[in-house]
Amino acid sequence: MRATTIALGPPPPAATPQFNGGASRGASREIDHDRASRDLNGGVGRQQTVYRAGDGPPLVWLHSLYGPEADAPLIDALAEHYSVYAPLAPGFADLDDLNELRDIHDLALHYDDILDALSLSGVAVAGHSFGAMLAAELAAHVPSRVARLVLLSPLGLWNDAYPVADLFAIPAAEAPQLLYADPSRAPSSGGSKPDVEQVIALTRGMTTVARFLWPIPDRGLARRLRRVRAPTLVVHGELDRFVPVQYADDFVALLPHATRQIIPGVGHMLLVEAFDQVMDAILTDLASFKWGVAAASPSRIV
Amino acid sequence: MKFHFFHLMPYPDLPDDFRQRYHGVWVDLPAAELFDPVVGHHAYNDYLDELEFADQSGFDGICVNEHHQNAYGLMPSPNLMIAALARRTSRAKLVVMGDSVALYNPPTRVAEETAMLDVLSGGRLVAGFPVGTPMDTTYCYGETPATLRDKYREGVELILRAWQSTEPFAFNGRYTQLRYVNIWPRPIQKPHPPVWIPGSGSVETWDWCADHSFLYAYLSYFGYLRGQKVMQGFWEAVARRGLEPNPYRAGFLQFVAVADSDAEAERLYAKHALYFYNRCLHLYPGFASPPGYTSLATIRQGIEGQIKLAADRNKELEDLTWAQILDRGYVVAGSPDTVVQRLTEMEQTLRVGHLMVLLQFGDMPKDTVLYNTTRFAQEVMPRLRPMWNEWADKWWPRDTLPTLAEPAPLPTPIPA
Repeated sequence: MRATTIALGPPPPAATPQFNGGASRGASREIDHDRASRDLNGGVGRQQTVYRAGDGPPLVWLHSLYGPEADAPLIDALAEHYSVYAPLAPGFADLDDLNELRDIHDLALHYDDILDALSLSGVAVAGHSFGAMLAAELAAHVPSRVARLVLLSPLGLWNDAYPVADLFAIPAAEAPQLLYADPSRAPSSGGSKPDVEQVIALTRGMTTVARFLWPIPDRGLARRLRRVRAPTLVVHGELDRFVPVQYADDFVALLPHATRQIIPGVGHMLLVEAFDQVMDAILTDLASFKWGVAAASPSRIV
Repeated sequence: MKFHFFHLMPYPDLPDDFRQRYHGVWVDLPAAELFDPVVGHHAYNDYLDELEFADQSGFDGICVNEHHQNAYGLMPSPNLMIAALARRTSRAKLVVMGDSVALYNPPTRVAEETAMLDVLSGGRLVAGFPVGTPMDTTYCYGETPATLRDKYREGVELILRAWQSTEPFAFNGRYTQLRYVNIWPRPIQKPHPPVWIPGSGSVETWDWCADHSFLYAYLSYFGYLRGQKVMQGFWEAVARRGLEPNPYRAGFLQFVAVADSDAEAERLYAKHALYFYNRCLHLYPGFASPPGYTSLATIRQGIEGQIKLAADRNKELEDLTWAQILDRGYVVAGSPDTVVQRLTEMEQTLRVGHLMVLLQFGDMPKDTVLYNTTRFAQEVMPRLRPMWNEWADKWWPRDTLPTLAEPAPLPTPIPA
C-alpha cells in the first residue's frame, strides 16, 4: 500500500485530490512516511495522509490502536478485492494535527471531510477497535456518507455491568494479556529494547487514542447510533478481555440495521488471532452489498 | 538561603506486608480496608502540630501539597491545611506547593482560595501551581493526559489575570469559559503572591518558568544526586534567556535526618525512612505513564520522571536498605557536621536558594519529628543560612503586614 497526502479545505483542494502513487494490485507493504507534501497547500488548511491499495469498489478502512502498519496484512488482503482507502488517524504522525480536532465531533467531521475530498459517498466503511468506534461515529454524524458498516470489536460504549478494561493503566509489557486470548500470539518485540523513535511513535498513537477514550471510552455514541442508516455487521472476539463481547449485543441493540458475528476463542486483536475468519466475515458481508451509484468510481480520483 | 519545613502527611499505619498485598499506594488502594479515620484524626493533628512547631523554630516557610487517593499524602486539599495553619502561626510564610490548577473547575476557585489565604494570613502566602502527578490528575481526577498541560497553563493564566485585573473581565478559554471574572477577596500581595512551580523534569516547564519568572522547584524523593540533571536543565533554560542565575529562582526538596552521630541517626530514623521508601513509594507501574502526560520532547531528552523511577522499582522484591538510601543520597542523615557538609555540597551543585526539607517521613512519631526539627533548626540552619546572601530573593512575599491580627482570647461565657 502507498501513502498519499490530500488537502482538506480551506482553501479548497485541487479538483482532483493529489495522490503520490496510484492504486496497484497486490499492493506493496512499502509505506511512504514522507509528509513533506503537507505543504502542498501552501501550509494553509489541513493535510491528511491516506494509505491506498488495490482495485475494485471502494472500501474505507479505519485502523486500530497501532496505526495502519499493524493492519497491513488485512489491508493487503482486502486490496485483492477492493480499492482500499485507509486514512491515518490525525495525531498518529503529528500530535499538532489534533489542535483543532478537540473532541469526537470535530474528529467525526474530519473523517467526513476526508471522504468528501476523496469523492467517496455512500461508501462501505470498516474498522477495528478505535477505528471501529470512529467508523460508527462517522456513520452516526453523517449517515449519508456510509452505506455499509463493518465494526470489528468496536469501542465507544460503556456498561457498568461489564466495564471496558483500562488499557492505559497496565504496564506495556502486560498489554498482550489484555488484548489477546492467547498472549503468545502477540507480535514479539524481538526482546530488544525499542529505540527512542519507536517509543515516540507508539506514544503518539496511544496519546491520540487516549485523547478520545479517556477516562471512560464513552463519548455519547449510544445516543447517536440510532442515526446510522447503513446495514452493519458487528464482529467480536468471544474472549475479548479489553472490550467484553457483550458490547457486540449492545451495538446491535442500538443500531437500526445490525447483525453480529462472534468469533470463538479469540480476543480483542482478532485480526491477528483469527485473520481468515475475519476476512471471511468481511467479504461475505460486503458481497451482499449492492455497490450503488452513490459509490464513486475509483478511476475518477486516482 | 531560606529553609522550608515540608510535610506530606503520610498515613502512618500501613501493614508490614504492604508491598506483598497491594500493587500500589495510590489511586486504587482500598481506603475502606486500610484507612482508619481515628488514626487519621491523630495523624492530622500531630502533623499540624509539627508544622506549627516549625513556624516557632525559625523556618522561613511551612509547606504542604496536594495528592489524591494516596496513602502517603493525606491532603486532597492543601488549602484546608493552610487555613488551619494561618490562625496558629505568625512567623513563617505559608507555602502551598500547591494547587493542581487543572483539577479545579473553574480555576478561579484557586484564585479565590489563595486570595482568602493571603488575606487571612496577612500576606504570607506563596502560591504553588503543580501540573500534578499522573496518578492525581489523569487517573484520580480523569483529566485527559494529552490536554492536561494545556489546560493547566490556561488555568494559571486565568488565575494571574483574576488576581490582578482592575475590572471584571470575560474569559473565553479553550477549557474554561466565564462571562464574569471578578474575584472577592483580592490578595494582599501586589501584584500577586509569588508563584512557585513544582516540577518533575519536564523540559517545557523549565522554559515556561524562566519565561514567566516563576520559581522552579524540583520536589524529589530521590535526593540531589538524582536531581542534578533536572536542575541543570532549568539553569540552562535560564542562561539561554540571558537571565541572571539567581539561586532564589529555584527550590529543591530533600529528606534530612539529624542526630548526635551517624549511628544514632540510623537508630532514630532508619525504620521511618524505610517505611516511606518501601511502603509509601510502592507505586504501580501501570499508573506511571499515561500516554500524553509526558511530552515527546521530554521523552527524547531521556528524562524519567520520579514517578516512573519509583514505579520501576515496583517489581523488585528486595526492600531498600538504610545503607542504600544513604548511598544514593535519598536521605541526608547523620551528625550536624555530616548534614551541613552534604547540604553544602548539594547547594553548590544544584544552586537552590529555597531548600525544602522533609524532617518527618513515613510513620515517624511526633516526638522524633520535633527532635529532628529542633536539631536541624538549631545546628544546621544557622551554618547554611549565609549562603547566597549576595542575591536578592524576588520570589518571596514582600507585602506581609507588619502587624498581624491574632486569634483573640475568648471572652468569658455569659452565664445563662
